[in-house]
Amino acid sequence: MKTMKSRRGGGNDRGGIRKRGPTRTDRDGDMDMDASGARAKRTRAEKSALGGRAAGTGAGGRAAGTGNRAQARNKLMDPDIIQRAILSADQANIRRGGNRKTGGDLEPFSVRGWKSSKAASNRDGGIESLIAFLERRMNSFIKSGPRAKITKSRTEGDTLVAFVRPDLADHMLRINNNVFAGTHVSVEPYTAATALDQELAAVDPVPGSTADTKTKMTTILSKRFFPATKLLDLSKLSDDPGLNAMGIFANVSTKSKFFPALMKVWELGFKTASERREAVESVSLADNKLSNINSVTTLAQSFPDIQYLDLSKNDIKNAQAMVGWRWKFRNLIFLDLTENDISSDPTFKDTMLKWYPKLQTLNNVQVRTPEEVAAQKKTPIPVLPAHFIDESQVGENFVRAFFPGYDNDRNGLVSSVYDDQSTFSLNVNTTAPRAGQTETAGWGEYIRKSRNLDKISHLSARMSRSFKGIEKIREVFNALPPTRHPDLIAKAEQWLVECHPVPHLPDPTGQSPTGVGGLSLMVHGQLEESVGGKIEIRSFDRTFILGPGNTPGGIRVVSEIFCLRAYGGHEAWSPEIQALGQVPQVAAPGPVPTAAPTPPTVPAAAPSGNVTEGYGLPRPGKSDTQLQQEQMITQMSAKSGMTFEYSEMALAGNGWNVELAWKNFEQLKATNGLPPTAFLAPA
Amino acid sequence: MAAASEDTLTKVSTEAATEFIKTFYPALGLNRESLSSYYSLEPTTILFNGNRVADGTAVQEIFTNQMSPTYYEVQSYDCQIINKAYPTTLPGGGLKPQSEMGVKDMSFLIVVSGFVRYGEGRDQPQRGFSETFVMIPNPSAERARGRKDWLIESQNFRLVV
Repeated sequence: MKTMKSRRGGGNDRGGIRKRGPTRTDRDGDMDMDASGARAKRTRAEKSALGGRAAGTGAGGRAAGTGNRAQARNKLMDPDIIQRAILSADQANIRRGGNRKTGGDLEPFSVRGWKSSKAASNRDGGIESLIAFLERRMNSFIKSGPRAKITKSRTEGDTLVAFVRPDLADHMLRINNNVFAGTHVSVEPYTAATALDQELAAVDPVPGSTADTKTKMTTILSKRFFPATKLLDLSKLSDDPGLNAMGIFANVSTKSKFFPALMKVWELGFKTASERREAVESVSLADNKLSNINSVTTLAQSFPDIQYLDLSKNDIKNAQAMVGWRWKFRNLIFLDLTENDISSDPTFKDTMLKWYPKLQTLNNVQVRTPEEVAAQKKTPIPVLPAHFIDESQVGENFVRAFFPGYDNDRNGLVSSVYDDQSTFSLNVNTTAPRAGQTETAGWGEYIRKSRNLDKISHLSARMSRSFKGIEKIREVFNALPPTRHPDLIAKAEQWLVECHPVPHLPDPTGQSPTGVGGLSLMVHGQLEESVGGKIEIRSFDRTFILGPGNTPGGIRVVSEIFCLRAYGGHEAWSPEIQALGQVPQVAAPGPVPTAAPTPPTVPAAAPSGNVTEGYGLPRPGKSDTQLQQEQMITQMSAKSGMTFEYSEMALAGNGWNVELAWKNFEQLKATNGLPPTAFLAPA
Repeated sequence: MAAASEDTLTKVSTEAATEFIKTFYPALGLNRESLSSYYSLEPTTILFNGNRVADGTAVQEIFTNQMSPTYYEVQSYDCQIINKAYPTTLPGGGLKPQSEMGVKDMSFLIVVSGFVRYGEGRDQPQRGFSETFVMIPNPSAERARGRKDWLIESQNFRLVV
């Protein structure tokens, strides 16, 4: 910490942000910036996810809740874990009863039947018009009060999972059996168990035997899963006696729905996404008569991180037949497409090398060396998790309130965090590098307001494209297209939020000649826009300077710059620290003179030994340093397989320098310098 | 301080941002020995991909001794004034009096979007980056040629593509 050089009149000019005006606190004592009054009771797990990349539990809000996490830690997969987990998932659903919550205060509903509507042929599969339809119907039931909004949604196979405020639940249910684009849609409360039942019902040869189907699928999966080699062998499925006994392949309909259901059963076998991801490195789909990947495309959702994929002995003719996996399997190092026509295509090798940046072996031939793979990824400055140094959770609460507000209520947002001195401008980087395939939609309204100083050189244009004060900012916000940002928790990996204190901001009261302290907040992420009924996805970088102000929450935006660019994905900020051991260490920047080198990334689902609940999570009374250390320990433990105790020794003994600690660990491990008790026992 | 007009404020801030962009980024590639001169003596936070760096001297040391050749291209940038009367501590101690302040006593925000190529040659992949700077008035009284009117108070570089 620096000492203050100049301080006058008692004003706090360095570091800490101070709130002004009326502030309210929620139950946890956090400042409530959510002026709309729709105050969310947030779970601790949710809170912890901000500040960077959270390894979210059950990303997407799947059944296994945070409460089960403690028992679920570090269970290496064994064949009957699937069995057990399915049983416990069922129990969990019963226990939770009507109490189930997935998106803060929002309640989930499953909407089905729309796949056979006329809208299903829309570019987005009809989702946008379905959501508009649901909102319209709900609004028609509402006499007064706030308008109905579906603030969050996702699709699971044939189901749209839509989240609404609890007061809208009855309206939602009234839509059940209404006609949408020429077809009846069903609306019912969503639970992961019902979702699975619906998937299974679709493949049920005998109606009503869903539970039986689940058990059979579980048995089939356990026979085909080899935990020691982390292999899931799904080859020759049509020869499987178990599946044939179920009559799965007897008709076309159950055949096409069988694979997604199988994947779902597999997913429910794991309590956390990370546990699931770690269980399997190799998948074989050999010898399945696949002419394209359409029927098995959900493999990429269930197994995004596999390194080995065997597709040999199928009927895949060309790259087009695999295009759905163009951006999937980013860690693939081995791909076998022998005995498929695609292999004789002259561009085959180049295409696959381009599609899969880590691919080393294609059709059993080396196509890239490990050094070549490493060289591509090489960044002279290692990528670390988000640096998030907050003050009294001001930055965290701001982000939490800002993006939902920007999506749903820009008028309310502008009134709550901007004032007459706030400045805002946006710029479009029309030539930014992008994440591959993306054709970018036109920049429409954005480009007319873009203040890219590289292009806008006339003073008058530079002035007219900068917006000062509530009214002008409101006007420009309302002129920009409606947006939807991914959920900060469920899609935490798609966000990078960084924050640090910044001194000497102008004091809105004029009292302190040295100004006031505030925060610089930098947010990188993506947003969806509906442009003429089409969903466009863009990336953005948004920097805010926050300071105290006479706003409802006591915090104002002093300055904001909003940069838009073509979709660039989120891989770039995925920390290399998580890949320690694989990625060769490249020139690290010099000494890092700070007491807390690792920012609060939150490995919420990381393995552990017997530790107390809330370890690694923020808690009142827990210092930032302690929190960071706990998180580093959790990370170290997850990576090394060591107990928390030994992970802590490794880190503390190396001045909390992750790299040194890791090198130390590797040395000791290589020389058998660690006792067996240093490691977590496999379950 | 005589209140500067909005025209003047915009002109001064945007030209200062442009001057900075046009000199700092080329320096990262070709004139690394000059890098420390872009920084305030007491910057608060300097970050590269989440790695905290102490000050301008450390930045220069990293770029001159550890960094492969780099080529930066700025594709879009913008700026906003943060504080029109930034409190500057004079070299002899004490705050610069309001009466002596001019339009250049502003602090401002710069946000840059562009790409960087690491390594030799044009065929290296373009990595998209976003970078945020807070610039503050140079407190030094020297009037030498090449003196910078503003220095980096904080900096956050992130690869984003």
